[in-house]
Amino acid sequence: MRPRAAVAAGGAIALVVSLAACSKNTGEGVTVDIDRRQTGVIATDPKDSTGPAPAVPGAQAGGTFTIIRETPIAHLDPQRTYSFVGLLAAPLFARFLTTWKDDGAGNLVLVGDLAETPGNNVNDDCKLWEFKIKDGVKFEDGRPVTSKEIAYGIARSFDPDLAGGPTYLQEWLADNPQYDTVWDFTANRTGLPPGLSTPDERTLRFEFAKPRCDLPFAASLPSTAPLPPDKDTGINLGNAPFSSGPYKVTRYQAGVEVVLERNEHWDAATDPVRHQYPERFVWTFGPTPDAAANRVIADSGADQSALSWNYVPASLVSRVVGDAALRSRTILSPTPSANHLVINNRRVTDLRVRQALNYAIDREGLVKVLGGQHVAAPMTTLMPSSTIGHRAYDAYPAGLNGELEKARELLGGQTPELVLGAADSAVEQQVATQLKGNLERAGFKITIRNIPDDAKLDEIKKRDNPWDLYLSSWAADWPSGASILPVLYDGRSIRAEGNSNESYFNDPAINVELDRILALPPTEQGPEWAKLDERIMKEHAPVVPLYVDVAYLVHGSKVGGIFVSSVFGFPSLVNAHVKP
Amino acid sequence: MSERAERQDRRLAGRSPGQLAWLRLRRDRTALVSGAVLTLFVLVACGASLIELAYGIDPRDQFQGKLDGSGMPLGYAGGISTEHFFGLEPGLGRDIFIRLVHGLRWSLVIALAAAVLTAVIGVVLGTLAGYLGGWLDAVVSWITDLTLAMPFLVVALALTPTVTLRFYGQRDAVPPAFGIAVLIAIFAVFGWTSTARLVRGQVIALREREFVEAARASGAGLGHMLFRQLLPNIWAPILVSFSLAVPQFITGEAALSFIGVGLGEEIPSFGRMIYQSLEYLQTDPAFVFFPGVTIFALVFAFNLFGDALRDALDPKSVR
Repeated sequence: MRPRAAVAAGGAIALVVSLAACSKNTGEGVTVDIDRRQTGVIATDPKDSTGPAPAVPGAQAGGTFTIIRETPIAHLDPQRTYSFVGLLAAPLFARFLTTWKDDGAGNLVLVGDLAETPGNNVNDDCKLWEFKIKDGVKFEDGRPVTSKEIAYGIARSFDPDLAGGPTYLQEWLADNPQYDTVWDFTANRTGLPPGLSTPDERTLRFEFAKPRCDLPFAASLPSTAPLPPDKDTGINLGNAPFSSGPYKVTRYQAGVEVVLERNEHWDAATDPVRHQYPERFVWTFGPTPDAAANRVIADSGADQSALSWNYVPASLVSRVVGDAALRSRTILSPTPSANHLVINNRRVTDLRVRQALNYAIDREGLVKVLGGQHVAAPMTTLMPSSTIGHRAYDAYPAGLNGELEKARELLGGQTPELVLGAADSAVEQQVATQLKGNLERAGFKITIRNIPDDAKLDEIKKRDNPWDLYLSSWAADWPSGASILPVLYDGRSIRAEGNSNESYFNDPAINVELDRILALPPTEQGPEWAKLDERIMKEHAPVVPLYVDVAYLVHGSKVGGIFVSSVFGFPSLVNAHVKP
Repeated sequence: MSERAERQDRRLAGRSPGQLAWLRLRRDRTALVSGAVLTLFVLVACGASLIELAYGIDPRDQFQGKLDGSGMPLGYAGGISTEHFFGLEPGLGRDIFIRLVHGLRWSLVIALAAAVLTAVIGVVLGTLAGYLGGWLDAVVSWITDLTLAMPFLVVALALTPTVTLRFYGQRDAVPPAFGIAVLIAIFAVFGWTSTARLVRGQVIALREREFVEAARASGAGLGHMLFRQLLPNIWAPILVSFSLAVPQFITGEAALSFIGVGLGEEIPSFGRMIYQSLEYLQTDPAFVFFPGVTIFALVFAFNLFGDALRDALDPKSVR
């Protein structure tokens, strides 16, 4: 027994050592070009909004397209959809007022989807908006989609029982963040919320109390999906949405699988972005990101036409990068998800300390901890580079590894003691360890205080939270500064709990500037936001910009037409097809 | 036994049971090898600071310059070199060798402290319950059953963060010693039951024997009865249960750190290292290999030595 065990143990050791030693890591690999410029416009020519969408080169109809993901999609009710996966799954079975024409390379055009144009700003004051609904748009049972069904869809999002989706339209129409107190959906099922009207079957009209210049963007979210009142099944709509898109849900197994098959009443001629190539889409839930990536890499059987929804896990990145055969099966793209080291401005009131933090930061080391350039790309601005009008700048040039001298100089021999609140998840613990080492080299004294992972988000959104620093990320709902800067840096919106302004930054001059830019026409706002971005960083340094997430996806050899949405940073399925 | 040894045995009469056990242990090759391995581990653990001094690297030092763009160590087998004997961690780029040495120290400190505590609690409660019997026995047995019924992992998961909040404010640094103390306390609270049951059984078997009755008849006090009459006769099983408890606590610490309620990131720990390394099984097997093999060797050696010790102390029992 003993000699055999020894042989087995020796064999195992030899195997592992030879596996590990068989190749030398010289650090050579592809470098990622993430400095692409995002251009975003609102279509002025109505022709942009007409279908059919240009054919995808080489795409053929047919086949089953599989998507593997660890956690299920919470629900498929368009009015309640707000998760990335939900936002990108919804276009398969729902159409919206407006939508993004996206080439996956940063060129975005906002076009009309159900509407003929992305909105008509009637008096040019952003208070009265009109949408003309297209002819020939139909539900899955062949009924035409009219302005009434779209208005009903927006009305039902006022129902607190159907919460969870975006709240822009509700808040703007009610002119009150507590919109359900202004208008009660359950008591007025046949009515419409204040400001929303349907003068005729093909016209939808919004009237706002204040200028709402971002309406065309907000209308691209799934809450403008149409629904006939007789098909409203309340909370059960999440299991069986009523389709207006190219596919309809034919099977819904909670937590296991969602199957979508072609909707024959969808007319390609009315749709500027969607296609109907695969026979069916199958969402499979369960496998961890590791398992899903390994399955897709193995590329056998049905997995050949499968996409692993989650990004390649950091631990597998070097394997995927190192395998030249996989290069044609991977997609690499920056995302609009911006990560900051948020400074609690109510606690860290000394500007020089905040500036020193900015000078001290070692972005290269941080990116390495996260898994390298295929996982994260350094960022020095408040808004990610995918924002319309974005302009790169570096207010506190920290180089690759931090300007420790400059930081020490600003601190003037003092040792600020800061508490870093970190979630007790594996990744964030590593990042916190990295930041502690990094900042302590620059003369800070950092205490890491763990927060339970599931509670962290709520805790740091409390105004009186006890920490000085914490990590946070923000992904805008549309690539405009208007959905970033006013949300994150308007000090007048600070409440006791549930703040998006996690830095608790409040400066009267900046607040005035926010209001001024918000009232500009959407087309003129882009460069103004970029200027304000730089001004906030230069004058106040309320956060330390760290990095944007990088999407790194792997798919089977028969998958085609997948690109990373420039708006949401996850794969878009509108061009998806299965190669024969 | 060889003939020569038998002859020696016959020639040398009059050995104490302890001497006999020592002789048996020394003849057992498994005991010798596992004992030597254990001694080596203990020496390394005790000399962790000296090794650090000689090696010149702090367990918190980061060598990110020796990682590639994806955060993987450059060079062969996870960055093994003459400077970094076991290579570097991917990501943070800390030295695996010195972290293992320190991890070994904390692992042994926690396991030994917990084993000593459980042994003391178990022996005291077990002898008292077994010897005095009556209501005390009933209460102790009842508490033992209750403790056994509590799910260890669930309670550990629920308690550790709560205890931290109870003693430290939201902004206070939690010293590493606190985390270690909490772990030891959790192990002690849950680990004493088996020793207590074992000791109680042994004491019940002994308490009606003649020598105990004789001592009692001559008016010996409770302390004398317990520590002079009963305990010396049940040392062997206690020692064995102690030596088998140590590896159990080593793996227990690793398991708790593995699920995130053990030691924090600042203390090098086997469990945390193994947990972090598992993801890298495909891309950096050396990172999985070294902590895995070390904890395997440590626990294996402890278990083998415990077995050998039992064979030596109690040669009549059948395995």
